[in-house]
Amino acid sequence: MPDINPHEREKPLEKPPFFKHWSGMYWLVLGNLVFLILLFYTLTKIYA
Amino acid sequence: MKALDWVVLLGTLGFIVSYGVWKTRGSRDIEAYLKGDNSMKWWSIGLSVMATQASAITFLSTPGQAYEDGMRFVQFYFGLPIAMVIISITVIPIFYRLNVFTAYEFLESRFDLKTRSLAALLFLVQRGLAAGITIYAPAIILSTMLGWSLNVTILIIGVLVVIYTVSGGTRAVSVTQKQQMAVMMGGMLVAGYMVVQYLPERVSFGDAVAVAGKMGKMNVVDFSFDWDDRYNFWSGITGGLFLALSYFGTDQSQVARYIGGKSVAESRLGLIFNGLLKIPMQFLILFIGVMVFVFYQFNQPPVFFNEAAKARVYATPYADNLRALETQYAGVFAEKQEAVQGLVTALRTEDEGAIATAQQQVDALTANARSVRDEAKQVIKQATPKAELKDTDYVFISFVMKYLPTGLVGLLLAVIFSAAMSSSASELNALASTTVVDIYKRSVRQEGSGRHYVMASKLFTVGWGAIAITFAMFASLLDNLIEAVNIIGSIFYGTILGIFLVAFYFRYIRGNAVFVAAVLAELVVLYCYYFSDIAFLWFNVIGCVCVILFGFILQALFGKPGEQEGTA
Repeated sequence: MPDINPHEREKPLEKPPFFKHWSGMYWLVLGNLVFLILLFYTLTKIYA
Repeated sequence: MKALDWVVLLGTLGFIVSYGVWKTRGSRDIEAYLKGDNSMKWWSIGLSVMATQASAITFLSTPGQAYEDGMRFVQFYFGLPIAMVIISITVIPIFYRLNVFTAYEFLESRFDLKTRSLAALLFLVQRGLAAGITIYAPAIILSTMLGWSLNVTILIIGVLVVIYTVSGGTRAVSVTQKQQMAVMMGGMLVAGYMVVQYLPERVSFGDAVAVAGKMGKMNVVDFSFDWDDRYNFWSGITGGLFLALSYFGTDQSQVARYIGGKSVAESRLGLIFNGLLKIPMQFLILFIGVMVFVFYQFNQPPVFFNEAAKARVYATPYADNLRALETQYAGVFAEKQEAVQGLVTALRTEDEGAIATAQQQVDALTANARSVRDEAKQVIKQATPKAELKDTDYVFISFVMKYLPTGLVGLLLAVIFSAAMSSSASELNALASTTVVDIYKRSVRQEGSGRHYVMASKLFTVGWGAIAITFAMFASLLDNLIEAVNIIGSIFYGTILGIFLVAFYFRYIRGNAVFVAAVLAELVVLYCYYFSDIAFLWFNVIGCVCVILFGFILQALFGKPGEQEGTA
């Protein structure tokens, strides 16, 4: 009897979570990058 | 190592290997064995992609790099999230539509068989050599620190990886990488917590970060442009983008991780997961290195972190010179420790004048300490001319072995072994699938059964594992081996990236043109390697640009697409 994980029977995702379109997801990644760069820049300025 | 450390180390590794073998038992057809039956969820893909990239050297070298050079290495990853978005938009849908097993399969549908075979062979040469180094590099450090035989350490890592990779194929690699990532991140978080706890009571976490900043270690982002500066914002966002595009878009060890997803959406989310978390993860590892640096401002560090190299010097006539320098280093440290405490006090008063004075004193003593350390390195070089003088890879593991409590030492060693195994497993799996799908099944035996190709994949995994282990065992016979492999990688990587960029973005160029362009580009790169002083990292750019440029010229000479050959 093969071991079938219940998760493997789930229907695969077709659309991104939280957003109507994939572009929303991509902007989230790029926005996160900009946020991190600004955060790191602030840290650099504060502690330099 | 105490008994409890052994229990934690062997228990963790034994559990991961056994779980991987048990969970993926019975993969009988090629689809299940090489693509995991397209059953992977997005978080599993994301963890697998991250675990493949995080080799043992990531956990050994990165904290040491922060200790020496501060946080700025994190900028190297700024291009990665952009690459994840580009690959999600352009590459993943094509790979799914064509239902490919390997990235190189796509090249046949876009160009022709010879271009596919050329790219697959270039990958096999480059990744086949790198697989040996992925095992050798951590083994040399772990064997030195643990006092084990180098060959035994190589065999432990290599054989464990081969066992579960052969048993369960791609799915076993992904299943075990989830556990490995949990061990890696859990272990690093515990190490980070412990190093902060080990700071003197009078030094708070805020003081530690402020001291690190004043000593030049919180240099996270630098917007100034300098060609000679390896890590700044501009090199990270451009060079890092190209490197990430080629690594995640064309390297089968990464492509295999995300083409096994349940759907395009699951694969995209897996890469987005990596795009969101990779930079914070690298930041965390570097920050732990900075905290280790602050820890060593209040606790005596060794003059040279590779204790085995020092032990070899003690057996030579240079022993007294080294001991004298160690005494001198301890004296400078005592002065510096007081100066750093003075800097902490000054920072708390927020008196700019006092801070500047304390900082000057710390800077002067830091320069003194560095000078003594450099002298010690010279003595080591004189006593043992073949000694490796870069000891930053030993900073973090020395801290772990000397200061962490029993049990945690075993856990942190499990982190490093897990990292070595996770990236090696992906490499062996990718080498076997490329050999079977792009060479054996396509050009040697096309009519075999599914079971036959699964058996062939297992045999090729064992074969590549044996090659990687053998190469790792003989690696110490070569000088500057890691650099040699990086050079070999750079010689081929640019050409492979060029072929894929043409395939995705330059529809005008067809099979014959890109094949001849790739061969010519490779010759140009080889010419540059043998007859010029160009730094090897530039070979990536030269190879890639030459393929595109020559492709356009040759396509113009061969005639319009469609006149000379069929459209893809």
